[in-house]
Amino acid sequence: MIEFLFALSIGTLFGIGVFQLLRRDLVKAAIGFAILFSAINLFFVAAGAFEGEFAPYVSNVEAGRQTSDPLIQALILTAIVVSFGSFSLVLGFVNIISRRYDTVDSNDINKLKH
Amino acid sequence: MELAIITGLPFFLALLLATPFARTSFSKSTQTVITSVVMALLFAGLFSALPRLQIEGVITQTMTWIPSLGISLSFYLDGLSLLFGLIITGVGALIFFYAGFYFEDAREYNRFIIWLLAFAGAMLALVLSGNVLMMFIAWELTSITSFVLIGFNGATNADAREGAFKALFVTGAGALALIIGLVMLGAVVGQDLYPDDSIRFVGDFASILQSQTVYKHEWFTLIAVLILLGGFTKSAQLPFHFWLPGAMSAPTPASAYLHSATMVKAGIYLFARLSPVMYKNELWTSSLLTVGLLTMLVGAYFAVKQNDLKGLLAYSTVSKLGAIVALIGLPQQSGLKAAFVAIIAHALYKSALFLVAGAIDHATGTRAIDQLGGLRSKMPTMFWVTVVSALSMAGLPFLLGFVAKETMLDAMLHFDGPKHQFVMVMVVVVVSAVFTAMAAYMLIYDVFVKRPAQSLHFHQPASWIRLGPALLALGSLSLGFFLEPLIIPILELAVPKAFELRLFAGFNEVFFLSLAILLAGLILFLLRKPLIRHITFPFSGDGVYREFIAYLEWAGTTVLHTQSGFVRYYLVIILGAVAGVLIFSGKLSDVIAGQQFFPSDLSVTITDLAKIFMLVLTVAAGVLTVVVREHVKAAIAYGVIGYAIGVIFLIDHAPDVALVQLLVETMATVLIIIMLGRIRAGTRLKVINSLWTGRHGHNFGLLRDLGISILIGVTVFVFSLISLQNRPERHSIAEWHLTNAKAVNTDDVVGAIVADFRGADTLLEIAVFTTAALGVLTLLARGRKRGGGLTPVKAQVSALPEFDLDVVDEIQDATSLSTPFTRSVSFIVLPIAILIGMAQILYGGNGPGDGFTAGVTIGLAVSLWYVVLGYNEAKNLLPWFRPALIVRLGLIIAIANALFPAFVGRGFMGHVEYDRALGIYEIVGSFGLHITSSLIFEIAIAIAVMGGLGIIIEAIAYPTDRSQDLAESQDAELK
Repeated sequence: MIEFLFALSIGTLFGIGVFQLLRRDLVKAAIGFAILFSAINLFFVAAGAFEGEFAPYVSNVEAGRQTSDPLIQALILTAIVVSFGSFSLVLGFVNIISRRYDTVDSNDINKLKH
Repeated sequence: MELAIITGLPFFLALLLATPFARTSFSKSTQTVITSVVMALLFAGLFSALPRLQIEGVITQTMTWIPSLGISLSFYLDGLSLLFGLIITGVGALIFFYAGFYFEDAREYNRFIIWLLAFAGAMLALVLSGNVLMMFIAWELTSITSFVLIGFNGATNADAREGAFKALFVTGAGALALIIGLVMLGAVVGQDLYPDDSIRFVGDFASILQSQTVYKHEWFTLIAVLILLGGFTKSAQLPFHFWLPGAMSAPTPASAYLHSATMVKAGIYLFARLSPVMYKNELWTSSLLTVGLLTMLVGAYFAVKQNDLKGLLAYSTVSKLGAIVALIGLPQQSGLKAAFVAIIAHALYKSALFLVAGAIDHATGTRAIDQLGGLRSKMPTMFWVTVVSALSMAGLPFLLGFVAKETMLDAMLHFDGPKHQFVMVMVVVVVSAVFTAMAAYMLIYDVFVKRPAQSLHFHQPASWIRLGPALLALGSLSLGFFLEPLIIPILELAVPKAFELRLFAGFNEVFFLSLAILLAGLILFLLRKPLIRHITFPFSGDGVYREFIAYLEWAGTTVLHTQSGFVRYYLVIILGAVAGVLIFSGKLSDVIAGQQFFPSDLSVTITDLAKIFMLVLTVAAGVLTVVVREHVKAAIAYGVIGYAIGVIFLIDHAPDVALVQLLVETMATVLIIIMLGRIRAGTRLKVINSLWTGRHGHNFGLLRDLGISILIGVTVFVFSLISLQNRPERHSIAEWHLTNAKAVNTDDVVGAIVADFRGADTLLEIAVFTTAALGVLTLLARGRKRGGGLTPVKAQVSALPEFDLDVVDEIQDATSLSTPFTRSVSFIVLPIAILIGMAQILYGGNGPGDGFTAGVTIGLAVSLWYVVLGYNEAKNLLPWFRPALIVRLGLIIAIANALFPAFVGRGFMGHVEYDRALGIYEIVGSFGLHITSSLIFEIAIAIAVMGGLGIIIEAIAYPTDRSQDLAESQDAELK
């Protein structure tokens, strides 16, 4: 059940992110970009090899407690910081575009051709 | 090992001279002495291998490189490599010395010498490599360095740019053919030597030269054609010769070195190297012979027509290269001896002539032969150098060129093909030699002896510039008399069979033929004025090349018509294509088939209920980001998504991740909101108002976007559902980490993975993060003065049209967020955040928090200062917070920490327990600390992340658009 709901949320968030990217508003496109990252992180946490009742500490393991998957957490941990870096880069681009073309509507920008 | 050092030394020297330290503290003359002495030492080093080679025949040295792929760094030195290596280093030493006096500007000289050194290293690697793949890499490196050197003055000279591109285009295209040919050759040799293996690539020369049956293989024709194409393009053979005259825009030392003595002979080296396995094939030898002879003739013919001094030398080089190629193509390898003698002789006289041409260009400012003249009295040394070198080129007895010409004529006379072929060969050889002799007389008379048309500008170059050409000419003059001690021992190693080489073989037919050629050349020289006018040629490789490039450009413009230029539509097409493929290929329905989608078990636990609530919140907030009008609301809705996911992490017992997620999401939301403030409100309003209305009154675009995103969303849903339902029960990797984390002295397994087990990954991640931060800085910090702060200076601001002088005062002030309360909060928060951060690093092993959270915590507190106090005040109050330096510090610590274990034998990023090593394990242990490489890495991560965040926040807080906004609103008020 919970897997189904996770998958549904991930799919919906991903669709929302793509939709935002496809629209003309660059600010919302940037937000959509960040939503894509969130959807991926959500997928990772759901895809952990096992779930547990305790945080993954050695002391918990030694006490025989069932811990959560540490590997996937380590992956997400770095992914969050890196996705933040790229998100700020995207925001920087939006900012520069708004300054150079005086618009945040991607339909007004067709300079890629030249 | 020593061959590796010989190859690596020029590269190392190039890197050394490229450092700012060397550039500023080594004067031009110091650099000149260093480079030429190093090249001379390399020459001596190679020469000292001669006695050993005479005993062993071949020296091979192998260092493992990528053992898992069977690739090793192997070096192979035999007579052929030695011959080329000695030319590269010997001529190189003289040219490096010459270059120091050719350039007047020290910076320009330094830039040149770095690239020339890199070339020398690449060329040495080419001739010393023991493996075809390594040779190929060196081959490409020489093309690239040649490109840079030809285009050395490309910033101001369009010809240099075109010539550089042309050379790279032709040699690069040939190299593409070459690599395919070499890989096929390696596969065939592998089949030959290891018939039991199915496919095995054998690339080392030692094995290739052992293989006896390659020429019988069915692929052989293709292999031969591909390798020939590679060599012909590199060695400027017809019809690819045209790039070489175009390469004459290079500074003259480069022309002398690359485009006469060494690089253009790479193709010849390749032919000679592979000759023992290839020569038994008719196609191989006849192609070499035919193309070589044609090139020889055409080159010699064009040379005399050139008015540019370097153009003449370039075409005569083309001709000589053709002659050498033809000699290699003689049946039964009978021309190898003559080819090698020609290589030596040519390297000596042609480099000398090029260097003279460079000195003349330098002294008079022109290279046009019809304007030059009368230089004999002004440049006596250069005159005598030219006399000796040009006559060596013409083949006057008893210069080295005479020996070369005698052996060539002798080899050609013994060509035992059919009668008509023999006659053709001899005609071509003799006619070319006559033209070459004519060019030689022109070099001497027209440049140095005849009266100039009008008086020339002249300034005497530095006298040391004469040393290189003089020594080269001395070589041409005297080496003929020292064949026995100097030339023959090397040739004996390089030529497969016994041979004789004499300075003077008696008054035989060859000698009289030589004399006749010299005389005929003299007659043509006297008649040159009426003759040269008639020299035309219906076909030109350069013309074909131009047509081809024009066609490419036409094709490019045609393709461009299909482009809309709207970035969004590219995305629509890409994602739409993905969606289309998913539907029409039937993959999606295949995957869906047989999967159970709706869960049979609908039971949920209490924790699941909490998660479900968070998921609903996430999706609702996601929908909200789409439907709300205002950007700020969308940004806040996005923040809700982030927090909800953070709570899910928390519920899932991932405290570290949850902490980072919450901190980062806060930061991201703040970032969007600040960013929105930097974009003019009117601009944003325009897009908000028109977002939901189609451009032409209909909303087809909206439906299309909706369709694409629904399809992709559904695909992601199906994919994640299937992978979530089918995930393995317990994963061995995760289990392994849980049980082994103790070995690295931390309690927190996630921290152990991040900082130790997958430390290399993390190292790259922080590099990526800081790079992204630097990207933001470069994007946003416009108008920043080099080395200065980000603050706009009044004088600087007024130069930028987007600023108004009145606004500058506004910028310097704090923003409206600065109330006494917020100020005191931010003052209090920062030290606390730093304390929390330090605690998270030091005790992260025992609880939530690690380097990432520490960095983000401190970064957030600092960003609070920037938000509340404004850019200037924050900058003044936090003088120690210099993000660019902090980032560097973090990365340096991380890299040093990663490298150190490698030096103590623990491997890259190995785990080192510093506390145990220092004997303070018990003491620090009583504080609950373990000083290990993981801890230091966590500190480095924290510093780098903090610095990266600092860079981003500084770049964002840098007040440019805010001022613009204010100016706009003031304008609006006025209206």
